[in-house]
Amino acid sequence: MSALMTLLAPILGGFVYGFERVLRARMQRRQGPPMLQPFYDMFKLMEKRTIIIHALHVVLGVLHFFLLWVTVGAIFFGWNLLYVIFLHLFSLIVLVMAGYSVRSVYSHLGANRELLAMVAYEPVLLLVAVGFFLQSGSFEITAILQDSSHLMQMPLLFIALLMIIPIKVKKSPFDVVEAHQEIVGGVEVEYSGIFYEFLYMARFLEYLFIYSFVFLFGGDSSILGGFLVLIVFFLINLVDNATARVRTADMMKIVYFGAISISVINLVWMVI
Amino acid sequence: MELIALLILLPLIAALFILFSHSNILQYLVTSTVFLVSSLSIHLFAFPIPSITFVFSSSLETILVIFDVLLLLFFMYQGHLFRHRLVFGLALLQLLLYLLVEANLGSGDGFSLLMDRLSVMMSLIINVVGGIIVIYAIAYMKDEMISPFKKRLFIAYLLIFLSVMNMIVMANSLLLFFFLFEMTTLASYLLIAFRNDELSRTNALRALWMNQIGGVVILMGTLLAVTQFDTVYFDVLMSHSGGYLLFAIALFSMAALVKGAAMPFDGWLLGAMVAPTPVSAMLHSATMVKIAPFMILKFAPVLAGTLLGGVISISGILVFVAAAYTALSKEVFKEILGYSTIALLGLIMSLAAIGTEDSIQLAMVLIVFHALSKALLFLAAGVLEKVHHVKSIEAMKGLVQYAPKSVFFIIFGFMTLTLPPFGLFMGKLFALQAVSENLMHSPWQIIVLLGIIIGGVLLTLLYFKVVSALLSKESDLQVAQSETLLLGFSIPLLLLSVLIILASLWLFKTHSALPMSYLLVPLLLLLVIPLSYRMLEGFDRTTEYHCGEKETFDSALFYFDMSASLVRAMYWVFGLLFVGIALAGVLS
Amino acid sequence: MSFFKRFRKKSPWILHYNAGSCNGCDIEILATLAPKYDLERFGVINTGNPKQSDIFLVTGPVTYRSRERLVKLYTQMPEPKVVIAVGSCTTTGGVFRGMYNVEDGIDQYIPVDVYVPGCASSPQLIIDGVVKALEILENKNQEIEKPFKLFGGIRQVGTKTSRRDMAKKVEPNRSDDDQS
Repeated sequence: MSALMTLLAPILGGFVYGFERVLRARMQRRQGPPMLQPFYDMFKLMEKRTIIIHALHVVLGVLHFFLLWVTVGAIFFGWNLLYVIFLHLFSLIVLVMAGYSVRSVYSHLGANRELLAMVAYEPVLLLVAVGFFLQSGSFEITAILQDSSHLMQMPLLFIALLMIIPIKVKKSPFDVVEAHQEIVGGVEVEYSGIFYEFLYMARFLEYLFIYSFVFLFGGDSSILGGFLVLIVFFLINLVDNATARVRTADMMKIVYFGAISISVINLVWMVI
Repeated sequence: MELIALLILLPLIAALFILFSHSNILQYLVTSTVFLVSSLSIHLFAFPIPSITFVFSSSLETILVIFDVLLLLFFMYQGHLFRHRLVFGLALLQLLLYLLVEANLGSGDGFSLLMDRLSVMMSLIINVVGGIIVIYAIAYMKDEMISPFKKRLFIAYLLIFLSVMNMIVMANSLLLFFFLFEMTTLASYLLIAFRNDELSRTNALRALWMNQIGGVVILMGTLLAVTQFDTVYFDVLMSHSGGYLLFAIALFSMAALVKGAAMPFDGWLLGAMVAPTPVSAMLHSATMVKIAPFMILKFAPVLAGTLLGGVISISGILVFVAAAYTALSKEVFKEILGYSTIALLGLIMSLAAIGTEDSIQLAMVLIVFHALSKALLFLAAGVLEKVHHVKSIEAMKGLVQYAPKSVFFIIFGFMTLTLPPFGLFMGKLFALQAVSENLMHSPWQIIVLLGIIIGGVLLTLLYFKVVSALLSKESDLQVAQSETLLLGFSIPLLLLSVLIILASLWLFKTHSALPMSYLLVPLLLLLVIPLSYRMLEGFDRTTEYHCGEKETFDSALFYFDMSASLVRAMYWVFGLLFVGIALAGVLS
Repeated sequence: MSFFKRFRKKSPWILHYNAGSCNGCDIEILATLAPKYDLERFGVINTGNPKQSDIFLVTGPVTYRSRERLVKLYTQMPEPKVVIAVGSCTTTGGVFRGMYNVEDGIDQYIPVDVYVPGCASSPQLIIDGVVKALEILENKNQEIEKPFKLFGGIRQVGTKTSRRDMAKKVEPNRSDDDQS
């Protein structure tokens, strides 16, 4: 089961992304693209003539995708949660290096922002993992999923997680990393054709990665987990449609003074 | 017994030979010595002996006293010579304290060695990593503009230093430990001042007076031990309890913080970066500063669960975060490495001071991997400095185009410091697990937890900010000129990289409950994907997208400067914490 | 390969470039992309990045200042690609035709596949043009398309094909009549 899920992860993520585009369109009272649009895009990209800057750039981008795939697979297989977070960091660092490897202004700016965003969301993810550990006594995802739901014990950690999801899925108000109107997509700017496809699919995998953290809050009841994911998914898109982009420095301040402090409060409360 | 004597004497004898021999056989002599001492310490590590103590005849004690007094007189002379009142005063203070200790000392002799698990591991690092650095130093000194004798002197210094380090990790007597501590101070003083210009002279003097504070507190602790417990031995001292024991240990820990350049003493380690790179690699990152966590580890069983342990742990973790943040404003590559050393030493000390079995293990693991990775990075920095004449990260822009090999080693070094599946990362992972486990019964450790998380993230930002300058490259249309590295440079670098990978595998196999697939899957990807490099020949190469504009590109590095008032506040806080350690020692 | 060909029609990504237009047509283009006409239901995205686009929407009569950028962006687009000239100025030069600083339409510089007239062209016309362009796009192949002027050539370096110099730069000190 987990092997199958892992193999199909990019396709699953594609459906999630397609659904999101429709949902966003409906929120703006328009019809929006078909659900399968991400797959159409991918098939089209396969057939484009591919132009690249240099080989290193491409190899790092492809490596980013595969590492992210392994990360998502690790979640499905129920590995150690901390290890999963650090594997994700690894894939992100590879992407950042890809961004730095070309002499392009937008790519560099995007990579810089990617690093700063990492400084913002990484602590929250780790603190959430520690919260799970305090409740279920283990960092293993399988163990966390066998426990009953921890939402009641760690409400503030859940809110903190909600605050950083927009950073990871690149949604307003925290979409400085991609900022299409400003830095043309950041790190992905120099990719084209089939290699852009890898980054396009990596975006689907990011969705799976971050929403599975929400799912973990459901504990052993996968219905509650699924429900939470749906609610959060809807909420994130609503916020995306309703807010403007904040600057990187403001994002850091909001996350550090907001998300991280409330997670610490929650942890202290759990410990005492 | 003979083994240990060999460990100490072999480098000394080799150093003597080098001083009076011709330069041609230099590398053979050094390589064989290094090979011998490394295999000795590997042997000791592989076939552990239960901790044993050696006591030597008391005639050695007299020699020790003479050496000690001579050393302190030399420091006083240096203080007088360069009109540095602080150096002079501190040396004088130490001399007085030393004589006071000797006067109070009963019949006990001051020369005793103790061999336990901790010292075996430390000697392994010292001999293997230190040995590799000495081999590298030969190639490094080859085209330095100094006389052949001075070059040989330099290598001899390093070898003598190896012997001193081997002794210090085995010293069981406080007086011997003090003497060797002062010897390491002397070593950094001499080697920082090696180039003998204005800047290195002032920095050397700064290192001297700061380290002498460490000497002073060690002597105060010794005085306390002698008067209260009537002993000069570590093991006897630690078997006592109550009284002023924790105060004495607090004083020793303060010396550890000074040696580890924890803030507010970060100035001396930073200044030490003017020394030739092998010195920075050996003394100021891989081996000598490791005395700091070593000392805390020695006392860790006593520190566990005490107020003192808590205060040391918290100040260590604060150093971790503060040093990582300070490094973000630095521009010189070696200074960045220096601050990251200070940060990681803080982390290791903090874990050691928690004092549970797990955290002690972890601190030891971190010491090993930090030594390996930092040595690799410093040696690569030395290559950049020597071959490509690059010191500042601003000058490193686009370095990958003409120095791909060195850049590879630097990036590999950074990756081993932060990312899975390499050793230092595993250390951090286990640290998070260990601290989370402790949270339930000691909630104060949430500060440590937060410190590990935020400091770790800041260090990642720091390392990959540096990579941003290194990596940008225009196109691969022209075949890049391949960089030729001297064998003397490339062999130590390769050796260290291989050691890191092997040690990571070893750590994974023995110390973690995680299945092997955790390590193998990402490693496999890392090896396989780059093979597609050749398949990319057929694709068209194009220009970067600049909105169609034709401007030239210049990558900008970002810095995070702290405001002057914040820096001042930070130093005040750390100064108070430093005093607070003594206070905590008195209270607990 | 023919299996994938049909998806070109379903996911056309647009690059919009203003070559000296009065912004009239640009406003219409943006209106077309905005929720009212909702071009996204056909899978259209305004990428703003030539490397990931299929359709080049150009407005404006090509002023002297903008021609290098026009050619540069054109050469950075991967084939198959189509060019749509939106508005009268873009197709013929419009009211600016024959002026000293204007190039009388973009087809002087790059091959145009669809001309959309109108001053300014209405959203309905633009959508019609895009749909026409999609038919043309479906029949194109991956061969490199070259600009008419300012073409710097395609170099072969070793085994690699270089498009780095495909768009020639106009030397600032030379007179403006240099041709390809």
